[in-house]
Amino acid sequence: MREAIHVEKPWFAASLKEWIFTTDHKKIGILYGVTSLIFFLVGGIMALGMRVELFNPGTQHVSPDTYNYFLTVHGALMLLWWAIGIWGAFANFLIPLMIGARDVAFPRLNALGYWTFFAASVIALITLIPGNHIMQMWTGYPPYSANPNSGVTALFVFIWHLTGAASIMGAINFLTTVVRMRAPGIGFFNMNLFLHGISSMNLIQLLGVPSIAGAVTMLFLDTYLGTNFFNPAKGGDPVLYQNLFWFYSHPAVYVMVLPAFGVISEIVSTFARKPIFGYKSMVIAIWAIALVGFIVWTHHMFVSGIPDWVKIFMSYTTVLIGVPTGIKIFNWVGTLYRGAVLYKTPMLYALGAILMFLIGGLTGIPLGLPAFDVAVHDSYFVVGHFHYVLGMAVTLAAFGGFFYWWPKVTGRMYPEGLGKLSFWVIIIGSNVLYFPQLIVGLSGMPRRYYDYPVLGDWVTMHQIQTVGAFILAFGVLLGIIALIKGAISGEKAPANPWMGNSLEWRLPSPPPPHNFDETPKVEKDYCPHGYCKF
Amino acid sequence: MTRFMLGILGFAALSLAEEASASAKNMPAALWDQLNVIWLALSVVIYLIVAVPSLIFMIKYRYKQGEREFGDQEHEGHWGLEALWTIVPLIIVIYLATHGFAIFKEMRTVPKDALEIKVTAFMWGWEFEYPNGKKVYAFFKQDKDPIKGYTAQEFEKPVLPVGKPIKVSLTSKDVIHAFYLRPAKVTQDAVPGRITYVWFQVNEEGEYWVFCREYCGTWHSRMFAKIKFVPEAEFNQWLGGQAELDKSHRTSQLEHTNIYATKGGALQ
Repeated sequence: MREAIHVEKPWFAASLKEWIFTTDHKKIGILYGVTSLIFFLVGGIMALGMRVELFNPGTQHVSPDTYNYFLTVHGALMLLWWAIGIWGAFANFLIPLMIGARDVAFPRLNALGYWTFFAASVIALITLIPGNHIMQMWTGYPPYSANPNSGVTALFVFIWHLTGAASIMGAINFLTTVVRMRAPGIGFFNMNLFLHGISSMNLIQLLGVPSIAGAVTMLFLDTYLGTNFFNPAKGGDPVLYQNLFWFYSHPAVYVMVLPAFGVISEIVSTFARKPIFGYKSMVIAIWAIALVGFIVWTHHMFVSGIPDWVKIFMSYTTVLIGVPTGIKIFNWVGTLYRGAVLYKTPMLYALGAILMFLIGGLTGIPLGLPAFDVAVHDSYFVVGHFHYVLGMAVTLAAFGGFFYWWPKVTGRMYPEGLGKLSFWVIIIGSNVLYFPQLIVGLSGMPRRYYDYPVLGDWVTMHQIQTVGAFILAFGVLLGIIALIKGAISGEKAPANPWMGNSLEWRLPSPPPPHNFDETPKVEKDYCPHGYCKF
Repeated sequence: MTRFMLGILGFAALSLAEEASASAKNMPAALWDQLNVIWLALSVVIYLIVAVPSLIFMIKYRYKQGEREFGDQEHEGHWGLEALWTIVPLIIVIYLATHGFAIFKEMRTVPKDALEIKVTAFMWGWEFEYPNGKKVYAFFKQDKDPIKGYTAQEFEKPVLPVGKPIKVSLTSKDVIHAFYLRPAKVTQDAVPGRITYVWFQVNEEGEYWVFCREYCGTWHSRMFAKIKFVPEAEFNQWLGGQAELDKSHRTSQLEHTNIYATKGGALQ
């Protein structure tokens, strides 16, 4: 066994070899973050390609197969790399700092998890090569996905297998870390809401991913080895795939959004400079969403030919999710009451995320009612709904999180003016992009369409969307420039620039390689949310 | 920004209300419109209930140097309020789900006098089969131009009677598709190996769009049909027009085969 070597260098001064072989949670967190952001940009560029094509009806710039490839990869990248992957970055960097630990429970498993995720990234890049396109959408419904028209099904399956394996490794690691490695004094009811968000997320990953892994494995066997799990001609059933797929993939929506809730809670309480309102009901709400989330999946299948009684049952469970979600929103509003609301960039992002998430939630409720859903199923209304949730609530929360912890991660402050500007450009662009999707969806426009007829105000609505997409892209660019500029030439950050009360703010910025000199002792009435009393 | 959003929301509500009155007679669109109005009203009210206090607190309790530098540290929750915003939303969602349940039951109950037709979906078109065996095929068009790409020839247009409930039994020859009739506001998947059903009634004459709503490959976006809704007498005459039928049937069958051949292996 090698002896522990005292290292004084901060994380970013490491050599390439150290980056590749590192088991340090902070470095792996950075690796996750950089990978996620790069693929977020790739997915975004593909979205711009689609928006350019949709600016006018008819076929102009790309072929339908290219468009379908863009759409498939846009979905896969934005969900698996961005909305799920980015929380791998936050979880890695922050969990040990928030619970007062030296590292995660299984550092080498953590490194293996990242490199598995990296392997999935390589496969995603391989699909860029002509002839290797995947065109079955991120859902990959058979029998279509077993049809040669859908491209290379194997690559689609391997992407799921590898990201799934990385997710399970991360889930085991993070759950063990949070359960076993908390500093004395930090318990279930006084740890950060971000930790609750991340833990519930990882519990879902642990329970759900095997289902999707099984589904895509059967798809692989059907496509290449002649089995007939989903082939109706030989007694199989394509709807079985949908059940297995959504048993994971609906809870996966909460995988994406629960950590975002956690980040919003951290930011809102810090910048309102008071404890979070209704901490206990926040905790209960997070875990209720995670558990009820497992019995709502057939609302994705309301028109797929499943029995009507199942639709009604899952309709009740689906709208029930609105209750804990509502509790969270009301509690955030309650946190602002009698606070001292300080408008820094992360706070703008968090408040924007709340108000936009509310639209995402309110448009989600009717989708849980089969009587409403039949008119808008697989329409742009659904696209608009989940872009309000994922494209805005989750993305704004993630950007808010970047700005919030940037001083801690890099040791330098980001430029405040540019950060605020990026928020306003992003939120205007997003609304110009996503609100017309709701309108055009209610008027019947189906989703996943490469082309559309000149019908009603569809053309105008699509042109507005394309303009919004470019505004949004510009905003994202501004945000990333602000972050990079801050990391390179920002002022030196103090240990606790926001006067937060959570453990990570008691470390120097950036934290030393070993985190805490000794296991931290928290005060008796430790509350991670609120104004720092020191 | 929030006010701007609310303005758009209100505008959308108005424009939707107008559209709703135009299609009020069609089924099950009329039922859907009822639920839509309830949802839209509730959503706007709930949005205001959250957004207005948020904005007030954001302004009233903003940070002021030397005057208000940190918030009320004792203000950590209020069980009464928290119970209130658990119970009231609970009642609202249970009400919505139950009302939706009642409407859905009506939507799924086919009237007894419904005309039954069979629709079989394939990559990328529709086969409409009438009780007397008459068939109409609607195909995708590969044209670059959006107008030509979405033009159906006369023999490709299925004809149905207005003011009469119609039950469609749906299945698919290859992959999963979905049948969506725009004025009826109803969607149903066409799944290979299964027979699903959907019913509707359109009360105004005209040509209406059917779109495929389940992604099914290269020309998913051009997998449409235009249904002609005509008075019942005219429909019966059309249905009986056997000579016309044979001709159109042959033409479309031929085109059908050609498409399969040129696409080579696009189908299983």
